[in-house]
Amino acid sequence: MSAREGDDLPERGTSEQQSKVPPDFLVELFTNALDPGYAEAASRRTGRPQKAAWVALTARVVSLFLVGLLLAVAYREAVAAEPERSEAHAGLIDEVRAAQARTDELQRRSEHLRQQVGALRRAALGGESEELRRIRDEEAATGLAAVTGSGIVVTLTDAPAQIDPTTGRPSVADVSRVLDVDLQGIVNGLWASGAEAIAIDGQRLATTSTIRAAGSAVLVDFRPVASPYEVSAIGPGDLGDRFVGSAAAATARGLVERYGLGFAVRGESGLRLPAAAARSLRHAHPAQPVQPSQPAQPTSPTTGPPR
Amino acid sequence: MIAVLALIAGVVAGVLLEPTVPLALQPYLPIAVVAALDAVFGGIRAKLDGVFDDKQFVVSFVSNVLVAGFIVFLGDQLGVGGQLSTGVVVVLGVRIFGNVAAIRRRLFRA
Repeated sequence: MSAREGDDLPERGTSEQQSKVPPDFLVELFTNALDPGYAEAASRRTGRPQKAAWVALTARVVSLFLVGLLLAVAYREAVAAEPERSEAHAGLIDEVRAAQARTDELQRRSEHLRQQVGALRRAALGGESEELRRIRDEEAATGLAAVTGSGIVVTLTDAPAQIDPTTGRPSVADVSRVLDVDLQGIVNGLWASGAEAIAIDGQRLATTSTIRAAGSAVLVDFRPVASPYEVSAIGPGDLGDRFVGSAAAATARGLVERYGLGFAVRGESGLRLPAAAARSLRHAHPAQPVQPSQPAQPTSPTTGPPR
Repeated sequence: MIAVLALIAGVVAGVLLEPTVPLALQPYLPIAVVAALDAVFGGIRAKLDGVFDDKQFVVSFVSNVLVAGFIVFLGDQLGVGGQLSTGVVVVLGVRIFGNVAAIRRRLFRA
């Protein structure tokens, strides 16, 4: 390196030779960082006396002033841009939270109204009629009504975070997490073992419920659930034994052995599972308009499908 | 000495006056900073080498900033703005490193 120092500037003869045979651009870039213009200007200056020193000085001062200004402005812009970005992020998070709170509120209202409907129906049908019992059974089976009873709680947990030996930071590989298919397997096993009502982390499953993955999150009916996943199921007395002996439980035990997931089954009495989120019927249309005075459904684009 | 004072005055003016950059020019600010730094370190090195020239410094500063900005602008129009600004930063970065290394050798003899 020190040998190179000499041929940067003073030996102008070599650079003259180089200009005849243009050097490789990259070699030139790495070996000769200084603008060759300085050397040329210096060689020109040796002949003539300095002219108009104050003009040159002013130009130097002005451009250095501009450099300082540029640095300060760029710094300010960079600082100003950062909170904007995080503000947008925080704004989105707030929006999601607000929407979730609104959904919760609406769900609570819906449940409350459903209870009122149930009470009114009981009053209308009077006491313990055969009709009423049938409606109640079917509501329980379809997840439209909250149910209580004894059953089992299956707990699935992600594997503990492994410390990566090279980075020293916890790393969770995708396979050591509970996936949507694992939960689906557990739920299907529970249904097959005779469960009558199932909820995941307090989210009741109805006939059209979904268990899906979005990124690394598991969504039940589009609501995120997190580890530990508690799958509560109400069913007959032998539900626990039948589930433990089922293929789904064997698969889960395999996951425990291979990936270190947590898996536990415990019996519990007095489970209370809430009603599932109300579903609108999207595919069923009345064949005839309910009221003769109303126009037929297809001719009135303003009225949506019956809810 | 007066050059350092001018640089400090520029920074102070930038902080106090809070000039706003037009939105269209904002993407070129980081590139302009790198180009200006290249001109400044080139100037410092030339000063230490005893060949500093005001005209050369001013022209290299102005043209560095303009050319760097123009290349990135052209890249943006062609859809390769990110790659071209990477190229500009690499080239100017190499020059800055080379000049700073020369300055270091002058000052510390190491």
